[in-house]
Amino acid sequence: MSRDVGAGTRTETRRVLVVDDEQSIRLLCQVNLGASGIDVLEADDGETALELARREQPDLILLDVMMPGLDGWSVARELAEDERTRDIPVVFLTARAEASDRRRGAQLGGVGYLVKPFDPVGIGELVDDVLARIGRGEREELQRGIASEHEQ
Amino acid sequence: MSVHEREDRALRLQRVAELLAEAVTPQEVLDAILTEGVRAAEARAGAIGVLSPDRESIELLAQQGYPGPIMEDWGRFPVSAALPMSQVVRTGEPLFVSTRRERNELFPELAGQGRSAGAIVVLPLAVEGRVFGAMALSFEEELEFGLERREMKIALARLASQNLARSQLYEEEQALRERMTFLAEASEILSSSLDYHHTLGKLARLAVPGLADWCTIDMAGENGEIERLAVAHEDPEKVRWASELQERYPPNPDDPHGVPQVLRSGEPEFFPSIPAELLDEAIGDDLELRRIIDELGLRSSISVPLTARGRTFGALTLIAAESHPPFTEADFALATELARRAAVAVDNARLYSEAEKGANAAQALAHVADGVVLLDPDGVIRHWNPAAAAITGVDEEHAVGRPVGDVVPSWATLTSHVPLSAPGERGAGPVTVPLVRDGRERWLAISGVDFGEGAVYALQDVTDEHALEKTRSDFVATASHELRTPLAAVYGAVRTLRREDVELSEEHRAAFLDMIESESLRLSKIVGQILLAGQLDADAVELSISECDPVEIAADVIESASVHLPDGILLGLSAEGARSIDCDEAKLKQVLVNLVDNAIKYSPDGGQVTIRLDQNGSGCLIEVADQGLGIPADEQERIFEKFYRLDPQQTKGVGGSGLGLYICRELVERMDGQLSVESEPGVGSRFQVALPTGR
Repeated sequence: MSRDVGAGTRTETRRVLVVDDEQSIRLLCQVNLGASGIDVLEADDGETALELARREQPDLILLDVMMPGLDGWSVARELAEDERTRDIPVVFLTARAEASDRRRGAQLGGVGYLVKPFDPVGIGELVDDVLARIGRGEREELQRGIASEHEQ
Repeated sequence: MSVHEREDRALRLQRVAELLAEAVTPQEVLDAILTEGVRAAEARAGAIGVLSPDRESIELLAQQGYPGPIMEDWGRFPVSAALPMSQVVRTGEPLFVSTRRERNELFPELAGQGRSAGAIVVLPLAVEGRVFGAMALSFEEELEFGLERREMKIALARLASQNLARSQLYEEEQALRERMTFLAEASEILSSSLDYHHTLGKLARLAVPGLADWCTIDMAGENGEIERLAVAHEDPEKVRWASELQERYPPNPDDPHGVPQVLRSGEPEFFPSIPAELLDEAIGDDLELRRIIDELGLRSSISVPLTARGRTFGALTLIAAESHPPFTEADFALATELARRAAVAVDNARLYSEAEKGANAAQALAHVADGVVLLDPDGVIRHWNPAAAAITGVDEEHAVGRPVGDVVPSWATLTSHVPLSAPGERGAGPVTVPLVRDGRERWLAISGVDFGEGAVYALQDVTDEHALEKTRSDFVATASHELRTPLAAVYGAVRTLRREDVELSEEHRAAFLDMIESESLRLSKIVGQILLAGQLDADAVELSISECDPVEIAADVIESASVHLPDGILLGLSAEGARSIDCDEAKLKQVLVNLVDNAIKYSPDGGQVTIRLDQNGSGCLIEVADQGLGIPADEQERIFEKFYRLDPQQTKGVGGSGLGLYICRELVERMDGQLSVESEPGVGSRFQVALPTGR
């Protein structure tokens, strides 16, 4: 991948919280995001994710859905209900591929929806793209987009 | 005047009085006055006229001794006319005219009329000071009326007045009695049957010819058309003719008069005398119709509405034609009363029939498996069938008559997404919503129809179907997760390893290679399970049964489990007195691996996992025991169902395909064995495989 680091639009570090009970998925994200110069925080369950999100205020959260204990849907709902975390963009990263799942993700305020298996190489670019679009005030378009997006 | 003459007059008067006493009807009274009275007065002729009800004209009731067509010529004349009777009725004073000359002076209209008439006397007929008519007497010769003569005539008039009034009262009473009798008979007919078509037909026939020449009953159809329910006339031939006429000239619901007008307005229409222009208007240029109407000789008509609960649904019409005298106010009152009673009877019959239909419908609804709820526009429950009671847990007597929101508090939420279709319209289909009752969730498929005067909802308990559907979608989600997660790891690891723009550390390279290996195995295992489950379903699994040593198999399983053993788990094997068994060694091993894997997975906080072998009657018992989470009693059988998984909240998220135990039980049973479980939540579980021993 050849990310245009020299564009210079983003000199500050971006921090992404990766939430997944599968260690392999977290590792894939961590390595590939790191290659894009993005710092990664990890949580292996929902409770930890909420705690980290509140405390660390990441720029974006990559959120799995099917996890033991608090699942991804519940995490997204709690993030949206908490004023400390409600503005943090959430991108779902899940094996749930049905249309009803996408709609649910959109309803819960997600700005992106990645279906497993996904290409981890493009994930850094995706994060930057989402953040840039949110910066341009396109959050609602992103939300609307995930319900109709085709499987990746 | 001599004493003899005076006595003679008194006797004559007495004779008249006696005769009058015997006369009962007005006609008998008139006859008595005009024969005996005229004779007693020594007059040549006499006549009696009465005031019309509107007191505008005088009608000649009877005469005696006048020549020619006097009844025709003088049948009716105005009170305002310059005639002797008119003057007497106006003034209330007796009139004595002694000579023809005097008469012609007073009443020039009469000049040259009548025979060479002499004196005339006209006397008022009055009761209780109120003039109701006059009596005229004509004499052969001119006469001087002395006091006694005058008094005798006045006395005669008084006698006539009293007796006429009495007879009229009698007649009125008689008429009233007849009307009461008629009404009683009518009521009897009306209450004789609930078939109002039949009773109204009988009622119409009862009305002729006593009450009218014709009686018809028309009903307002549902689409505004007019249906003739009954037509009656004394002559059946005429009834047939009238029916044909009705078909040739069907009534126009927009006609400005008659039945259409009564049906539209709900107001009665009464023509004591049908105005000619009204008939002309109705007939138009139709010569044939003109001939028919002329033949009918319609004189007088009454049309009264049949109205119940504010709605006019029919009209009763009486017609006086060839024989019946024009209708009076009394006839109109009677018709009104008759129509009132008929309307009540018809309404009752209709209500009864509707109630009966309703009862039948309710009876049918009682057996319908779906809940049926009928709400009025205010949301008050009007019907609540047994299925609705079963679904909601509220019985009928606590539901009907109460607002539905009071009976089912969550009603508004339940039905907020149920589209109400119009009757006959194809609805959007039922909406499935959860209803929490006694702490348990029931799923209802609800559909609704709004029919204007309320809404009817059908409730179907689809809890079981919903559970099935949830199982299916859970399986899809689970299978999807189980397949996609390892695939994501393998694919992601390969993609990452092949990145040329990033220098991976040795550590990471090794981790990704391990990831590819282990996740491929995981993928292979889940694919294998799905395939095996499919084969078991298709009964396509082949077993090779041979004599095996269960201790050896158990030891192998323990050994391979110990390779990646999580912290806190202790593995153990106890095999006392176990002997060889008949089984497929690979399949038994697969079963035990699965049971041990489960035991470890469901012991997230660690503990002892033991395989224990024992003699069990004629067989061998292999038990896999753990000290893990355990399984709630009501789920201990369900865990063997295909795709069934314990609630992830209770199992701390331990997941799987939902196929493992299903496969285990299927395999054990194919080896003529049994797989069962004993468990206590929080204490642990014991899975037992019972297999027959070898020969």
